[in-house]
Amino acid sequence: MSRTTETALVREGRSSYEGAAATAIGLSGVMFAVGLGTLVDVLEITTPVAGVQLSTAMGIVLLSLGVGIISFGLASRLDYVDTRPQPSAGIVAAIAFTGVWFAIGALVAGAIGLGTVSWMAVGLVAGAVAFAVTAFPREDIGSTLPAGSVAVLGGVALTIGVIGPGWEWVLVSYNATLFGDTAVPVVVMFASLLTGWAAAKAYGGFGTRGRNVGAYVLIYLIVLSILAVLVGLVAFVVVKGSPGLFHGFSIGGEQVISWPFLTNGASLLADVAGVFPALVGTVWLVIGAVLFAVPTGVGAAVFLSEYAEQGRFTQVVEVATNGLWSTPSIVFGLFGAAFLIPRFGNNKSLIAGMLTLGFMLLPLVLITSREAILAVPDEYRDASAALGVSKWKTIRSVVLPAAVPGITTGVILGVGRIAGETAPILLTTGGGVLPGKSAAPSVLGGFQLSASPPFVTNPSLLEATSALPYQLYALITAGLSGNIEAPQQFAWGLALTLLLVVLVFYAIGIATRYYFRKKLHQ
Amino acid sequence: MSQTDPIDATDEMNRTAEQTISTTDGETAEETRSEWVDYDTGGETKLAIKNLDVYYGDDHALKDVSMDIPEQSVTALIGPSGCGKSTFLRCLNRMNDRIRSASINGTVELDSEDIYQDGIDLVELRKRVGMVFQSPNPFPKSIRANVSYGPRKHGDIETGLLARLTGRADPESEEELVKRSLERAALWEEVSDRLEDNALGLSGGQQQRLCIARCLAVDPEIILMDEPASALDPIATSKIEDLIEDLAQDYTVVVVTHSMQQAARVSDQTAVFLTGGELVEYDNTEKIFEDPESQRVEDYISGKFG
Ligand SMILES: Nc1ncnc2c1ncn2[C@@H]1O[C@H](COP(=O)(O)OP(=O)(O)OP(=O)(O)O)[C@@H](O)[C@H]1O
Ligand SMILES: [Mg+2]
Repeated sequence: MSRTTETALVREGRSSYEGAAATAIGLSGVMFAVGLGTLVDVLEITTPVAGVQLSTAMGIVLLSLGVGIISFGLASRLDYVDTRPQPSAGIVAAIAFTGVWFAIGALVAGAIGLGTVSWMAVGLVAGAVAFAVTAFPREDIGSTLPAGSVAVLGGVALTIGVIGPGWEWVLVSYNATLFGDTAVPVVVMFASLLTGWAAAKAYGGFGTRGRNVGAYVLIYLIVLSILAVLVGLVAFVVVKGSPGLFHGFSIGGEQVISWPFLTNGASLLADVAGVFPALVGTVWLVIGAVLFAVPTGVGAAVFLSEYAEQGRFTQVVEVATNGLWSTPSIVFGLFGAAFLIPRFGNNKSLIAGMLTLGFMLLPLVLITSREAILAVPDEYRDASAALGVSKWKTIRSVVLPAAVPGITTGVILGVGRIAGETAPILLTTGGGVLPGKSAAPSVLGGFQLSASPPFVTNPSLLEATSALPYQLYALITAGLSGNIEAPQQFAWGLALTLLLVVLVFYAIGIATRYYFRKKLHQ
Repeated sequence: MSQTDPIDATDEMNRTAEQTISTTDGETAEETRSEWVDYDTGGETKLAIKNLDVYYGDDHALKDVSMDIPEQSVTALIGPSGCGKSTFLRCLNRMNDRIRSASINGTVELDSEDIYQDGIDLVELRKRVGMVFQSPNPFPKSIRANVSYGPRKHGDIETGLLARLTGRADPESEEELVKRSLERAALWEEVSDRLEDNALGLSGGQQQRLCIARCLAVDPEIILMDEPASALDPIATSKIEDLIEDLAQDYTVVVVTHSMQQAARVSDQTAVFLTGGELVEYDNTEKIFEDPESQRVEDYISGKFG
């Protein structure tokens, strides 16, 4: 390649080629999204589109995408357009396509019923051909031909209905059957990932820029699908849970907002059964655990990173905390049941649950606080020391404020985990399956003064209390039945409430972190 | 909290040792003579440094330095990069104690009291001996909070909720202190309308002056400055130089600089350190720049050796 073309910043005569490639990228994205939609049953593959079934339509689009991709490569190879391909598509792409084509060859052979030896052989041949086609020609052919062929093959299979709505493949050794409505979206999504990537490379004119664009599109599509799965999960719970959650909900009237599901207990007398006791229980459990774990965890982190001599001792503590964080929650629950319950009146109680969850939260708070404190630059400590400020005041006014965002992140993660815990609550906090409103703990109103030690008592802390994840678990164990109208709907409403409670704690944590970050780096 | 790789460190040491040998070889005719450093400063001695040795691990960074620093004057420390100027400065307020590998022998007397004796209150010492670091290190707080940080923590200014409730808070005196300190550090005009902004948003030179202001706000007796004008333009530099001269009316100033002109302009006496961590000559600034005793110092000042 001559030096002038190498350094030319603007390439000419490529606008229609780029336009076509951009269209192909967009079409691949759409196909990927449609595939995802059919996979999660938002769309049906039998839906008629322009006179044909959706799966056939997708096949036609895939076929044309595949043909398009291959022609992009040819156009570049035959120098119809000015691109800058490298001599080879590279070893990574070659290995990836070998794997892809090995799988395709083996699957096709397996699906038409060949024996083990034959499908292995077919797969190996397909893989070897793909390796050669990717690795040896110039990059423009090497990265378009294997990708385009996948789309062509898939497209043909869908168009002529080899894989379609009625299709099924009994996998004897797995004791399972693969149906068309799973296979079609998988084929479509996979093929469109490849065409999106190859089209993006063509759009970038191959070479370094093409690889950048290609990687960008690939990552973008994958991130998109991860996000879609997340959103799908939440949406699923929201759709299923809304009828329960909003049962009897009204705005206006006597009370400004009436939300019986959240403010009622479960009782035969109430019109709408609600989750009030469990909701209050979960909120208090989380608050109690945070109040216990954050001061202790941050205090321990300050001691370990600012005062203790860094060495064997701190290393052992670090290993031990990491181990504690990965300890299964049922073990914490057993600890609470065996150690805490006998010390708090010998029955399951709110305070035992708070402390158990607090112990679970403690290691994470300790680990993240320690990381955050160690990440505070020593310059701040030196600057403060040189101004004649004592160590403790320095920690309080410089080190900790700079570490707060990191500490908050740890607390957010930890709260997400403990708010949904069932096992420790089952063992330490208890509560009924369908508690009435009166069973809700009233912690704030429960404090009583007394003349003898411990002077302040709070009976509601010592009572068994329900919590959202525990109630859900108990309901399911009881076979989704009970003295309420629609237990199924109730249970979904409960699940949605739990999700929302966790999200609210998240939001509080993120707002706190944002506030302190802003204060540090405006 | 970073730890040097031991292998690297030994490597470094070997190299330094070789270099030292080669320089001594080349300069055999020249060595430090005691009359060159036994300079009688005349004034009241504020800091008396006697036989100070500093090691970083096995690396001998400062070799047997003795000098008297007089009260209410400006002492300049010059010398090539890596010769131990910052190390020396950090010994004067015991900031070297914070470096794990550092070990210090010798005495430093502040008003005839050894600051390296047992039982010295480091917090109190550093209130009296302020320091401006070589690289600016403002806190991630507002400009105002940076300047008033020292006095606040010392309880000279009370701004807490309790102080406000009990009527002991004095926002005006804080305001006054912030303004005065920033004015002296030649920064007030640039930041007077954005005192609440984060100090990390300031330019490098502005941060440098903010650190000077932060140090001045504590009102120490001695001010140690490590290249206070390294990131400043000529105008700001000349303001800082004016400030240094002005400070010498009341304070004792020790300033490290790489600029000969700056040393010549602002200082009363100059100490020249040369590679290997030895104090080669210490005298009246005029004498050092016009007629140094040592050939090496003359070479260094005229730019032949560095
Ligand atoms: N924290 C430290 N740990 C180990 N060695 C150090 C440390 N600080 C300085 N040194 C070593 O001590 C010697 C003197 O360093 P110092 O920072 O005092 O030089 P300097 O004269 O201030 O140089 P410059 O003009 O570049 O700032 C150097 O060889 C340096 O490598
Ligand atoms: Mg230095």
